[in-house]
Amino acid sequence: MESMVMHTIELLVSPLLALLIGIFFLGLSRKIAARIHWRYGPPITQPIIDIIRLLSQKSANHGVAFNIGLILSLAGSLTIVLFLPLGRIAPLSDSGGMLVILYLMLIGPLGIAISSGASANPNASIGVSRKLLLSMGYELPFLLVVLAIMTAYHTTSLTEMVSVQQATGWAIVSFPLVLSGIAYLMILPAMLGVRPFEVVGAPQEISSGPLVEYGGPYLALATLQHAFALFIGVSLFVNLFLGGAANPVFFFLKMLVVFSLGLFVNAVFPRLRIDQAIRYLWRWPSLIAFAGLILVCVTGR
Amino acid sequence: MTGIEILLLTAFGGVLFTCFTGRISSSLRNIAAVILSIVLVVLVALLYDKNGETVFYRGFFGIPMVLRINTLSWFFAIAISTLGCLSVIFSLGYMRDRKNTSFYYSMLLLVNSAMLGVVFSGDMFSFFIFWEIMSWSTFLLISYNRGPAVGAGLKYIIMSIIGSMAMLAGIISLYTVYGTLNIADLSHLVLSSSTPGHQIFLLIIFGFAFGIKNAVVPLHTWLPDVYTEAPSPFSAVIAGMLTRMGVYGFLLIIYVILGAARSLHTGTIPGFNHILAWLGAITIVIPTFIAMLQNDAKRLLAWSGIGQGGYMILGIAFGTNLGVAGGIFHTLNHAIYIVLLFMSVAAVQYRTGGVRDLNSLGGLIKKMPVAFFGALIGICGLIGVPLTNGFVSKWMIFKTLITGGAPFLAFAALIGSWGTILAAYKLLHNMFLGQLPERFSNTRQSPFSMKLPMIVLSFTILLFGILPGLPLKVINNIVVSFGFGSLDVSLWGIVSETGMLNTINLFAVILAGLAVVWLFFRIGARAVPVNQSDNYAAGAAVPGDRYNYTVKFYDPLTRTISPYLRDIIDSLYQKIAVFTGCVCNGIRKIYTGYIGNYIMYIVLFVSLIIIVQMVWSPW
Repeated sequence: MESMVMHTIELLVSPLLALLIGIFFLGLSRKIAARIHWRYGPPITQPIIDIIRLLSQKSANHGVAFNIGLILSLAGSLTIVLFLPLGRIAPLSDSGGMLVILYLMLIGPLGIAISSGASANPNASIGVSRKLLLSMGYELPFLLVVLAIMTAYHTTSLTEMVSVQQATGWAIVSFPLVLSGIAYLMILPAMLGVRPFEVVGAPQEISSGPLVEYGGPYLALATLQHAFALFIGVSLFVNLFLGGAANPVFFFLKMLVVFSLGLFVNAVFPRLRIDQAIRYLWRWPSLIAFAGLILVCVTGR
Repeated sequence: MTGIEILLLTAFGGVLFTCFTGRISSSLRNIAAVILSIVLVVLVALLYDKNGETVFYRGFFGIPMVLRINTLSWFFAIAISTLGCLSVIFSLGYMRDRKNTSFYYSMLLLVNSAMLGVVFSGDMFSFFIFWEIMSWSTFLLISYNRGPAVGAGLKYIIMSIIGSMAMLAGIISLYTVYGTLNIADLSHLVLSSSTPGHQIFLLIIFGFAFGIKNAVVPLHTWLPDVYTEAPSPFSAVIAGMLTRMGVYGFLLIIYVILGAARSLHTGTIPGFNHILAWLGAITIVIPTFIAMLQNDAKRLLAWSGIGQGGYMILGIAFGTNLGVAGGIFHTLNHAIYIVLLFMSVAAVQYRTGGVRDLNSLGGLIKKMPVAFFGALIGICGLIGVPLTNGFVSKWMIFKTLITGGAPFLAFAALIGSWGTILAAYKLLHNMFLGQLPERFSNTRQSPFSMKLPMIVLSFTILLFGILPGLPLKVINNIVVSFGFGSLDVSLWGIVSETGMLNTINLFAVILAGLAVVWLFFRIGARAVPVNQSDNYAAGAAVPGDRYNYTVKFYDPLTRTISPYLRDIIDSLYQKIAVFTGCVCNGIRKIYTGYIGNYIMYIVLFVSLIIIVQMVWSPW
């Protein structure tokens, strides 16, 4: 009974925490970028104000798939959070491991893709096409990284990976996995969709791409989805390479460090073209990740 | 008379009956075909959990011809009969205004009957006969559309004959060595008294035959043309089950006849399996990337179908209980979603007047919602999105590869999955999303006979994705009958040694997530439905009819990878074919038709012999 109650609380708390952290990151990113650009920047609560305002605004609706795709996308992101250990909170980690997370990570982009495809705006289609190409670009090294970790720790369960690291030291400072860690850091901006890989949104080129037809509540949902996506991308790195954390506070601090690194890159780099982005992602990060996987295979025997 | 005999008699008799009623009236024939295919499903379903074999004919040189049923054959038979039935129902609408429909229906049923014969064969001889009936009737039906379809059919039948000849050589070798062709007897004899050399011979020669049927790279070249040119409901049958007879064949030779799971783990089979697994990995990656370059909806599906075949081979070749079960499960899942996808494309083709060019379609979602829904669920299965059946079988295969210490094979399989997303989304987007071109503004919904199979299949995909235990219990029995350990399968999940999958939890959570998000969405202000031309165009006027992004959908990637992705093997085969043609043409020139020339040949030959005898006197 006790455990049932705890389990239910965890089920409710973990997405809420994720949402709070994600929205905080959204606010923080604008603030930090502004300070680096010598501007004052909006208050850190600006995303919350925006979401509330957007919910009350009218907008255009392009049909059923337009609604359902977006709802599906946000629900998918919400689901992933339950599989990710957040400190020691991991309500659904016994229902599926890293492979389930990898595949659940498809639902978010796919939902947005269907929704914005249904909006019948070519800017959205271009954005989705770029998103899929970019994800093809970073998935290649990312899968190599994930496989290296799974092979090194002989498990596909994320909670087990975390507990092994807490017993024997972080993956990013252990020998063969350090290469995978470096490769992951190199692709992290692409996974988070920040500059220099901001090709999907690209406001000046394709009017924010997939988001072009969203307004009002739709844009609010899309913002929340973005917040979740930030959380998922960063927390996956913390779990895979920084040994998770014993409690949510330390987990949050680790995430903050990783995310700030991404922000500093974001604030000073211009945007790459999509083909340049793919070429970059398939070259150095992939080679390093590949070397990492080979070393793991060789030394693991 | 046993159940299987009744079943096959009904099947083959029904073909004749359908052909006959076609002479009387076409609607009568349609009813006969539908009823027959439903009866077949029922008959197969009644045979569930039966085991046994019967001799149905002794006449051929004293070789008894045997039919047998076990879990493996039942599993394939139920898939064949059900998908065949749905395809017949779908054809009712699709083939309505075509010529020669009697021929079409009887051939479709003949292919299905022959496939049932293949899986119910108890000896290699009847297996071969049914296999040949299957190949030839397929050839006839592929060429139904004429034009380029004839070329595709020829390509298919030539490769098929090469495969059959290899198989015949294997069968003869089995008979001369063991003196029997009965599969059950063979599996005992081979296990106790086979040499490694003979094993590897059998594996290669049968692997060649089944590799052609299952389109394993480099034996895949017949497939894209055939899938593209065959009538669409029949493309679905070819893609769903006929190609996968190759998977059945691989299971038969590796695990039933050679008994790889029981005692031959030390022989030559692991080496063969290793090579086969890598071929499977290549089959996944290259065709998947070729698929995303295609602009023809059916050709895109064909190339992704080749890629999916790689997963089955990979799972089966890896040879653990989870992997083999995953491979078999993926065969079923793939059949379900690829049939659905072909039906969806066919529905669009039917309503738009035969258009399947992905560059000229678009925005059909509002005109054909059911076809869109079918395509959406279908591509979700194809990609392996959680809660669809494709996810579970892929999960099993990945799990096997990772825990089995083959990260590079797992990498090939995973990256293939991500490549599939690009191809699948292009299919969905370019047909149904984006803006509707003016000339399709009067497109109507697909007729009921097309909607019904699509709805049934979509439902099945979700059902098997949420409750994978339903088919997995049967698959577990198959795997156990091969001699593997039993899997820990429950109705909604799999527990393996190193982690588990619980799909019902996943389902509940996603459902709850949807409910929460939907409620949140309802709180917000109402949205106003707008027309597709009421779009943001950065201040410019929205150009009518050309404001769409479909052509060169993945251009940046295409430019980078397309130089590496030409079908080199196909052009090699083409060159061989042209060369053979030239040689044969040269030989033909000898036969001039004049008696005088022939006499001259004889005189020349005799004098040559005489000269040889005079000079060297060898005789």
